[in-house]
Amino acid sequence: MIEQVAGFAPQTASGIAQLLWLIPAVPIVAAGLIALLKRPRRKLAARLAIGSLVFSLLLALCAFVHVISGWAAGHAVRETVNFTWVQFGTATIDLGWVLDPLSAVMLVMVTFVGLLIFIYSIGYMEHDENFTRFFCFLALFAGAMLGVVIANSLLLLFICWELVGLTSYLLIGFWYHKPSAAAAAKKAFLTTRVGDIFFFLGIVWLFSQTGTLLFYNNGVGSMEPVALGGLVSAHAALGLSAATVIGLLLFAGAVGKSGQLPLHVWLPDAMEGPTPVSALIHAATMVAAGVYLIARVYPLMQAGAGTSLTVVTWVGAATAVFAALIAVAQNDIKRILAYSTVSQLGYMMAGLGLGGVAVGIFHLITHAFFKALLFLGAGAVIHGCHEEQDIRKMGGLRKEMKITFLTYAIAMLALSGFPLLFSGFWSKDAILEAAKQSSGSKGPFYLLAFGAVLTAFYMMRQVSYVFFGKWRGHGHAHESPRVMTTPLAILAFFAIALGAIGTPAWPWFRGFLEDRSVSFELAKFGEPSFLALLATSTVIVFVGLGLGWLLYGNKSPEPEERDVLEKAAPPVWAALANRLYVDELYGVTFIAFYAWWARVADWMDRHVWGGIVALVTVIFGLLARFNRFFDNEWINGGFDKSCEELYSGGGMAARAQSGRVQTYLRILALGVVVLVVILIWSSRG
Amino acid sequence: MNYIDLFRVTLPETALEAAALLVLIVDLAFLRKAAATARTGVAAVLGVAGCAVSLWAVYSAGSASLSFGGDLLLAGGGAAAVAEIGILVLTALTLLLIDSGFTQHPGEFVAVVLMAASGGLIIAAAQDLLVIFAGLELLSIGLYILTAFAKTSAKSAEASIKYYLFGGMSAACLLFGFSYLYGLAGSTNLHEVALAAVTSFGSGSPLFYVALVLVVVGLGFKVAAVPFHLWAPDTYEGAPAPAAAFIASVSKVASFALLIGIAAAIRHPFGVVHGVIRFVMAHSGPMPRWLGFEMPWTIVLALLAAASIKIGNLAALAQTSVRRLLAFSAVAHAGYILLALAWFSQRGAESILYYILTYGLTTIGAFGVVGVVERATGSDTMDSFLGLHKRNPVLAAVLLVLFLSLAGIPPLVGFWAKFNLFAAVLAVGAGVWPFILVCFAAAFSAVSLYYYLQVLKRAYVMPVVDAAPIRVHPVTLIVLLAITAAVVVCGCFPALLQNWIAGFYPTM
Repeated sequence: MIEQVAGFAPQTASGIAQLLWLIPAVPIVAAGLIALLKRPRRKLAARLAIGSLVFSLLLALCAFVHVISGWAAGHAVRETVNFTWVQFGTATIDLGWVLDPLSAVMLVMVTFVGLLIFIYSIGYMEHDENFTRFFCFLALFAGAMLGVVIANSLLLLFICWELVGLTSYLLIGFWYHKPSAAAAAKKAFLTTRVGDIFFFLGIVWLFSQTGTLLFYNNGVGSMEPVALGGLVSAHAALGLSAATVIGLLLFAGAVGKSGQLPLHVWLPDAMEGPTPVSALIHAATMVAAGVYLIARVYPLMQAGAGTSLTVVTWVGAATAVFAALIAVAQNDIKRILAYSTVSQLGYMMAGLGLGGVAVGIFHLITHAFFKALLFLGAGAVIHGCHEEQDIRKMGGLRKEMKITFLTYAIAMLALSGFPLLFSGFWSKDAILEAAKQSSGSKGPFYLLAFGAVLTAFYMMRQVSYVFFGKWRGHGHAHESPRVMTTPLAILAFFAIALGAIGTPAWPWFRGFLEDRSVSFELAKFGEPSFLALLATSTVIVFVGLGLGWLLYGNKSPEPEERDVLEKAAPPVWAALANRLYVDELYGVTFIAFYAWWARVADWMDRHVWGGIVALVTVIFGLLARFNRFFDNEWINGGFDKSCEELYSGGGMAARAQSGRVQTYLRILALGVVVLVVILIWSSRG
Repeated sequence: MNYIDLFRVTLPETALEAAALLVLIVDLAFLRKAAATARTGVAAVLGVAGCAVSLWAVYSAGSASLSFGGDLLLAGGGAAAVAEIGILVLTALTLLLIDSGFTQHPGEFVAVVLMAASGGLIIAAAQDLLVIFAGLELLSIGLYILTAFAKTSAKSAEASIKYYLFGGMSAACLLFGFSYLYGLAGSTNLHEVALAAVTSFGSGSPLFYVALVLVVVGLGFKVAAVPFHLWAPDTYEGAPAPAAAFIASVSKVASFALLIGIAAAIRHPFGVVHGVIRFVMAHSGPMPRWLGFEMPWTIVLALLAAASIKIGNLAALAQTSVRRLLAFSAVAHAGYILLALAWFSQRGAESILYYILTYGLTTIGAFGVVGVVERATGSDTMDSFLGLHKRNPVLAAVLLVLFLSLAGIPPLVGFWAKFNLFAAVLAVGAGVWPFILVCFAAAFSAVSLYYYLQVLKRAYVMPVVDAAPIRVHPVTLIVLLAITAAVVVCGCFPALLQNWIAGFYPTM
């Protein structure tokens, strides 16, 4: 795989690459402007945020076209702009940005999906009194996320990474008067911080090993062969090379951000935020930043002699199944989607580990569209059902909310991987194919295949509950305004159409990212390996969908009624419904430990440190008394006499800052004498 | 030396003096009947123009220096050039922040500011004891006058007379010390004196130590190092706000530039004759630690630094007047810088310049805010800042940025200034003492956050007493915003200023 990277020769930055920094900068400036607005300027706030993102989208499209045209002309584009940020003696810390296929694709995706969700938010947040604050945070998020995407320096990436973490915190806790939202925001911030600590350790280690944090810098960047060679030959511990350990540390950061096992607990709780936030940040973009990070440092992960990528694969596959299992037994419409997101992020990680950058990122892109669509659809449903989120209290909405149902169904089929028609099928298929052909263990393949069954199953269960059967809620459900349904339709289009660029017959996306030429070969569809896989995935999807329909379709059970599966196996259901007790486990282990530790620290503070402080106080009190004695008896007595000539009419007090200039001059003279005495004394000593 | 050279090298000073005279002529001859604001405006604009011309002269002079009889009088390039540019920019900012409220004679005020600034330019480059003394007096006498400029204010007069007495005493000490040095070395050139200290009269002579301490007194007075700082709180409190800003910034930049010049000269003989000495010493036992200036210089400055850091920060905690608070914080900042002078290096010189330039900039801004608040409330106590964010949010934001920068909070420039300074001290690698003192300084700079936050707490958090809006003159506002922007931008991109300073050193 290394030889693909060699295709990216050092190049001078083109005009568009020089301007790339504007893509994140403009939304951040817009956020700043919105923050300065007075409260009632709601329209202006929305216009500023959306306008800035339109600008970023246009610029991102220009950059994308530039990269494509370069690729079509036969030279892969990887243009960097670097500058020195800080200098310590001889060491410098450089920052910079990079325009290559990976960042170009991500830029377009983030700005486009972001723009649609911004527009949707106008409708969704219409009645919220903190409308301007919401758009301020959204714009800041968009800027920070785009910063992550263009960063050519691990440090710049980390800075923006923390910024998106901050905006995520602010937006999860947007309705901070709700205790659950405030708690969820805190949980998200603290949990991701656990991963970030390892991430930061990885950064520091990388810097100490290679002396640079730039990814690409004309052959001397940290992701380029020279530095990687050094990392591979440097031994860390347990027989692992520095490349492996640093790769794993960086992966820990990705685990936190992308909600992988065992740090996934924050993501479902993050659904306390407004639904557009869930769609944009906690489904489409920010949580995918971890996947993007791994793709960005892929050369390093590869250099880790397979160990790092194996870990990535297994963590991803385990997460995919684990989260899918939990999703089966949830009743909150957004929570199901949240666990589904965790599970799909697991697929992306596994895709990266097994098939390379293109496989993982393709799923990231398609998932961004259909998962954003699902969340926005869920938002429309919640909005239409008067803020109800329990799927047992919905039903039959396909009649009242036609557009929402149609788009939701498309997204759900894409997520389930319904054969041939939907983008999710192609991207998931590529991952399964990579898993099947992997030379290593076949474990991940079985896990991922099982996960796919579950995915189809829980999505069918959700759709049956929400859109089929009888209406079981209160009041009357209604369709959402045009400003909300239009983005749904656009996203639905892409949830289908995006599949076209990643089929085996025309693997355009893969060729684009990996710099290979692509041709259209219809014959690939006829190859036995493809047909076998097609058959497998078709069976998988239909088993899942069929089971779901069999158990839940048109049943419209009452909200109080126990779930069919719960009746069949109560203990299993209870475990799943309680999220396999991971939160509880953390509660009795880590959190209990920290609570104990906090009590210890509190006790130490009160008794030990407090005692020391009290002791210091006493000592200084004594010193002060001695000082006063010294002042009265020595300075005012003896020294005053020796300085008679300076002592023209001063009082007896010789305290500093008495306001008496005589005292000042006396102190000056004392200073001279003391300094001379010290010098002469110490030169003799 | 010929007079053409003299004129060319002293063109910046000449430009300032000419501008001062021009200001006086215009003000006295044409504007006697004009309104005070108009006179202030014209005088300030002329003064700024003079600074601009002088700045151009500094740039065009490049690294030209002035010698007499083979001895260097005025250095060119390097630290001197950086400090001169800093002095001129800060002087221009001070002039732009002048308000017309405190005096009937704005023209004279501006003229004295310009003359004092030219004194600052001289000492920034001076390499000869007599030139140093002349430049210092030119600067100091200007400052005494500026302090007394609010003629109707008793506080101003009191502050000035204290400043003058203390300054006169220190100048006497300095001159006395210089005369000893001249007597010992037979030359007034800094390099000659330093060389003589190493080769002939050097080690162990008590007279030499007395001379050194006396010199340090004179310079310690200028930078307000403990125990020669006692004038500072009274002067900062009593002087008119622009004068206080000038004393706190321009005078500090010039004085520290002088200290850098002296410290570099002291180290110079070690570069030249170190090899010879080492050779000689190789045959007569180990090299003495007490050779020439280096060791006593380090000891004296380290003592002053430690005392300044401790007393400056602790005394600032107890202040209720923001001006006195800034005075004691200035003492503390001087203490940090003295550490880098005690363990001096090339990198240290750059970090001191970085520190003092950014500190001067921030302090001018801080005094600008204090001046505005003072005019609105009639006092500079902390309580007059109550509810500032309601009364004028922009002013409060400026204060927030500047004070946090003074406290050294990233990503503002004050953080990088401290960081570079402490890193430079540690990089000298002179054993355990620098490390201990840097830890000490870092601990006390944490203490300093407390008193800066005391002011900010009143501006932002504590209940509002008087919500009447405060008006700011547009020029003042623009200057304050520019300073704030510079503090933020230089903080976010610390390499900008670093590289700019390093660019003045040809050898780097």
